Order: sequence, then structure tokens, then C-alpha cells
Amino acid sequence: MNVAKLLKFSRCSPLHFSPSYSHSSFRLQHATGTSSNPQEADKFQEDEFRVFVIPGKNSVTEKRQERRKLKFKAQPPRYLKMPVDQDWTSVWPGPRTFHPAVVPLPLRQGYDKKRVAQGKFGNAELMKVPNFLHLTPPAIKKHCDAIRKFCTPWPQGLETEMQMEKHFPITVITSDYCHSSPTIRDIKARIVTIKLKLSTLELDDHARDKFLRLVGDRYNPKTDVLTIVTDRCPMKKQNYDYCMYVLTALFHESWTFEEWEKEKSTLDMEYYEWKDHPSYQTYLKLKAYPSQDTSNIEQEIGQDPLTQKYSKAVTDLFNQGEDVYTLARYKEATLELLLGQKTS
Amino acid sequence: MLRGIVGKDQVVSQILSCNLKQVDIRGISTSATLLKHVQAARYKTSKKGDKPLTYEMSGPPHTIAHIKSWNSWNTCNMLDGLRPSETAVEDEFIRRFLRGTWHNLFLSEIIIKRQHNIIRIGGIVERAIHPRKIYFLIGYTEELLSFWLQCPVKLELQTVESKKDVVFRYI
Repeated sequence: MNVAKLLKFSRCSPLHFSPSYSHSSFRLQHATGTSSNPQEADKFQEDEFRVFVIPGKNSVTEKRQERRKLKFKAQPPRYLKMPVDQDWTSVWPGPRTFHPAVVPLPLRQGYDKKRVAQGKFGNAELMKVPNFLHLTPPAIKKHCDAIRKFCTPWPQGLETEMQMEKHFPITVITSDYCHSSPTIRDIKARIVTIKLKLSTLELDDHARDKFLRLVGDRYNPKTDVLTIVTDRCPMKKQNYDYCMYVLTALFHESWTFEEWEKEKSTLDMEYYEWKDHPSYQTYLKLKAYPSQDTSNIEQEIGQDPLTQKYSKAVTDLFNQGEDVYTLARYKEATLELLLGQKTS
Repeated sequence: MLRGIVGKDQVVSQILSCNLKQVDIRGISTSATLLKHVQAARYKTSKKGDKPLTYEMSGPPHTIAHIKSWNSWNTCNMLDGLRPSETAVEDEFIRRFLRGTWHNLFLSEIIIKRQHNIIRIGGIVERAIHPRKIYFLIGYTEELLSFWLQCPVKLELQTVESKKDVVFRYI
């Protein structure tokens, strides 16, 4: 019975939910809930007419209760209490997001066409940019003083670059990578590069030639620097070991003289060597004239500037190719040799 | 238009007879696009002109690095950066977690800065709850995020009196 009444009531209820409707509904429920007599409930309903609610017309008495906003007072900014001669490194010891109440600087950040830029309070832009307030010169000085006890003096006899190159001819280059992410692994950290000047290795003409053939374009003839880069092993240590192995193997391999290397003739040479060519013999004959024995003067003319000049001119002509300069120098040296005159 | 002038069969035969190059050229439109109705990350003006905008909101995306800066600071998207996608997902997770945990309290965007394995989270918070609760929330957030992300998380917040303190302009 009660349920039926409720249903009936709800069916004829106004479409819009209103305070007055909820009020009567409450009373109805109250009545049905407490009294078991249905007539009593009817009586309640007859007492008051239901009010027809026109939305927007009738004044709504009950307003939605606003959430109470609590206001909490904050302390005045800390920088107002700071003494002028305070120790800033203890106020801002490490990297930290900017905080306006701590930093005693009248900062502004932002762009506004019409007004002056925003102040530091409530300014998110100042919080975004990385700051260096923890890296003030006194802070860096403190850091240096703190780690000074771990430093050792610079070794004696290694003051200049020349001395360093002499005692430590090999330069090993490795890289460590710091990312702003939780991983400390970076595959690029495995790459090891070693550099050394080829002049520091003990190599004769054959060994040097063989060494250069083995290393290929890893050698820079302009700076005389050999560069070996290894990245085939997964770890830095393994790559370093491999670098050292390669260098050792190259050195010893270039010193070995294989049987088949003797088969190399003058025509197989990759560069022009004057003393291996008939030109040298002709030169000796010319110098030794009228005697036919060339063995005696071979030692003498080695130191002769004219011979050296001619030797260089001929070698350059073949090694660098024929151009205006090499031809001119060759002409000059030849005339000087044959006619004993200097041409300009 | 072409069909209007010549017959249909002629058009077909023309298409079949023309070489490949001509066919390719036909598909290209060379008119410039007019980007007039870009809506992303832009706010509509209100009728009364009383919609509050923060400084961050008032600048459209192309002003990043000109008049406003990024909300996420890390090296993952640089050349050869590590785990860019993981970082993006983590940042989104942090933002959602903070929006829910600090409900209706953050007045600015959540700024996430990463230094090595440390994550610093910054932002402007309204002083609408008791300071004791704010301290609790800071510890709670740091603890949970550190546990989930397996790295130190620091919350570096700034509080303001009301929402009006961060309003840059009304539109």
C-alpha cells in the first residue's frame, strides 16, 4: 500500500526537482515510515497542497551550500628576516626549484605587452628554469676546499706538453654519459679511441711502410697521428684491451719480413725512390767522370747540397706529379748540376 | 571540366595515352594552407571577458621557448637520448597522480624536472587546506612516487593565497 502510494506520488510529481517537492516527499516518507495506519498518511497529504513549481519563477529559498573555503595565513617571506651578511650557501645548499620567499632578489619573469613583467610570487616560469643559486662562487670555493684533501700533487717532470707526449705517448679517449633519466647505462660509453704519434714507435723503412699499409686511413700523414677506434665489444674495458692488442699486433706484424715480400720490385713500389732507379746510377757516373769507378764518390755526394737538391727535385717530380712548380724545380736543379749555374 | 569539352571516350584515351609523369603531376595541390582555425591549447574568450588565464595558459604552444618554457625538463628527447617514451609516460603518470592526490589544489601546470635519477616536481598550490595536511601530502606523494618510479622524487612547491594570485589576464 505504502509503496503503491509512493509510486503514485512519484508518477504525478512535477518534472523538475525542487526544494518544495523534496520537502513534501520527506514528510510523506516520514509518515509512511512511522505510522502503520494508511489513513493517517492520507491526512498528511490533504493538509498541504502541493505547490506547482515553475522553474525560474518561484524563488528558491535553499541555495546550494558553498564549500567553505578555509584561508590559512602563511608566515611572511623568509627573506625579510634574513640578515644581509648571512651565509647563502647554507640557505641554498643544493640544486632546488626557485622559491620566491627564500631568494632575496627582486626578480621578474614573463612577457607582457602592456604591463611590466610578473613578479616572483606565484610565477611558475621562474620555477621552470634551472637556476644556479647553489653554484655561487663561495659555494664552489667551499666545494673545492672540501675535496682538496683528495688531490695529489702534479707529477714532477710532466709540466709541459712535450714532456707528457714523451712519457705518455698514447692518448686514450673514452666518454661517460650523464642523462636526466634513471639509467646510467649508455651504449656509446663503450667506444674507446686511442691516438699516438707514429714517430714514437720504433719502425724502420720496411716496417713503417708495412704498418701504414695495415692501418690504412687510420693514419693521418699531416699530423703523423694514428687513431684506432674500437666499439665492437660491449664493455669499455674490453674495447680498451682490444685496442692495446691491435696496437701490439700491428707493431710486431710490421716488423716481420715474410718470404714473399722479397719479390717486390722497383715497379711495385708505391712511391719513387731515387736511389733504386737508373737515374741515380747515371748521376753517379756523371759525377765520377772521367773515372769509371762510382763506389768512391757515393759517400761524398751524399752530403752534397746539390745532390740533395737534385734528389728532392726528381723524387717530387714523380711522387707529387708533374706541375709547374715541380717541373721548374727539376729544371733548376738539372741546370745547376749540368751547367753549374743558378737560374732564377 | 575536361569532360565537358571533349567526350568521355576521348578523356579515357587521353589518360591512357599520357605518360606517367603527367599523371603524377595531376595529384599535387600547390595552394598554401590557411591555418585560420587552430584550436589546440587556445582558450576561447568568454562573453563577459572574465575568464581567468594563468601565464602558462595565455600563451599558445608556439610561444614555448619564446615567452614561456617547457613543463617537462629532461634530456630524453635530445639527440641519442635514452628512454624517451618511458619518460613521457612517467611524466603523464606523475601529473595524473598529483592532480588526483592534490585535488583542486594545483593552480599551475605541474613542472617535472629531471636531473640524473632525481625527479623534481614543482608547482603552485593554493593554501586551501591545513598546512599539516600539505606536509602529509608532500611526504605521501614523495614516498609513493619514489616507490613506483624507483628513484628519488622531490616535491618543491610554492603556495599562494588564492587563485587570483596566479591569474595573468582575463579573456
